[in-house]
Amino acid sequence: MRWIWIDTFVEFVSGERAAAVKNVTMAEEYFRDHFPGYPVMPPCLMIEGMAQTAGILVGEVRRFQENVILAKIRLADLQAYARPGDRIRYETTLDSFDDRAAVTSGTVLMNGKNIGRIDLIFSYVNNAERSVDLPDHNFVFTEQFQHLLASARLLESSENRKSNED
Amino acid sequence: MAPSRDEVFTTVRDVLSDALGVDHEEVSDESTLQGDLGAESIDFLDIVFRLEKAFSIKIPKGELFPEDALNNPEYLNGDKLTPAGLETLKAAMPHADFSQFEKDPALSKMPDLFTVRTIVNYVEGKLEAA
Amino acid sequence: MKFGFVDSIIELTRGKRIVAIKAVSLAEEYLSDHFPTFPVLPGVLMLEALTEAAAWLVRDALDFLPSIVLLRRAKNVTYKDFVKPGTLLRVEVDCRRLEKDASEFSGVGFCRGNEVVKARFSMAHFSVGDGSSGVSPIDQRLAADAKAKFALLCGQATKQ
Repeated sequence: MRWIWIDTFVEFVSGERAAAVKNVTMAEEYFRDHFPGYPVMPPCLMIEGMAQTAGILVGEVRRFQENVILAKIRLADLQAYARPGDRIRYETTLDSFDDRAAVTSGTVLMNGKNIGRIDLIFSYVNNAERSVDLPDHNFVFTEQFQHLLASARLLESSENRKSNED
Repeated sequence: MAPSRDEVFTTVRDVLSDALGVDHEEVSDESTLQGDLGAESIDFLDIVFRLEKAFSIKIPKGELFPEDALNNPEYLNGDKLTPAGLETLKAAMPHADFSQFEKDPALSKMPDLFTVRTIVNYVEGKLEAA
Repeated sequence: MKFGFVDSIIELTRGKRIVAIKAVSLAEEYLSDHFPTFPVLPGVLMLEALTEAAAWLVRDALDFLPSIVLLRRAKNVTYKDFVKPGTLLRVEVDCRRLEKDASEFSGVGFCRGNEVVKARFSMAHFSVGDGSSGVSPIDQRLAADAKAKFALLCGQATKQ
């Protein structure tokens, strides 16, 4: 199971807001267990999709030079669950940030319909506050994310546009 | 017209209830954010953000919860604050009540200064100045 | 790779409290992405461990029907530290409200005795056959599978 829960960015305004989409397909591994006869995407993975969308928006403010870690899920409220064939869109805005943390709020849309809200806080990792020793290099924004970062950068300098499929 | 102290307290209580997941009944004027209400360091940022939104005020970093006020070695003697350290902290937190703290001004006891009343005092001050 | 984030249930007070373990191992594929040079359990999977433990409490208390038990809402999920491969995440979950179609919990996760995550969350429970046909064959099968899995997870558990 990979750990990439968005497929591409469809909107990206640096320091302000972003939107990314994820297709849900029967080919995804977790459907085998979750659940046989009733495939439904684990809600925590929808939270992760929003976290990746917002985390990249936050990271880009510092040109991805700093590690950005999910510090708090303020609220994740989901009114519906995703099934194979559904298309999820994560829309998020950067509400506030300083040199230690950033606050984002976001809406989850499924097949064009608003199905929930996910509000997060990220921290730019502070070595002093955790017991696990941190590596001294950037471990978050690695090559694994390059294709996603590329799709974000492509949109960064262009006008805002919504994906036509939505 | 500026809200009354009761109205400010009610809104602050709602903010803390949302940010910390505590019931209204648990939030009193004297409650300490960390000791009584279980706030973690990341919650402090969440609280600042929610207060800004709830009261339409801007809270500059360190103004409500000063973190670096004591970063000069002259302000601390081990865990204890020196007289200079205590004065500096008082100047950084005019909205806090130091009457208990100054009897035994220890760094480890600093979280006790962050009470609900401290926040209400701060917000009132910001609203009056606006 | 299997999608299940509770490896063992070590304590259960029916309808009230459950303590479970998730073991973290480099054998888990997603760790190669999270992160390649610093593998740690993703925060949402800590939440998943908490919600799966809660789901087991619900299933045991409601005799495995409704068959689907899913996270509906999470609030104030606070992360305090990382969980590395080779360690165990111990989740302690308390039930605050339990009804046929919904439940509420608060939970804390520990690693090496230190608190690493805490959360408040609520779950939704439903049967696949809800609406026109009530409990369907799929629900019966899911319930039977869950019962078997639950027995496996409990092993030497202290149950009350």
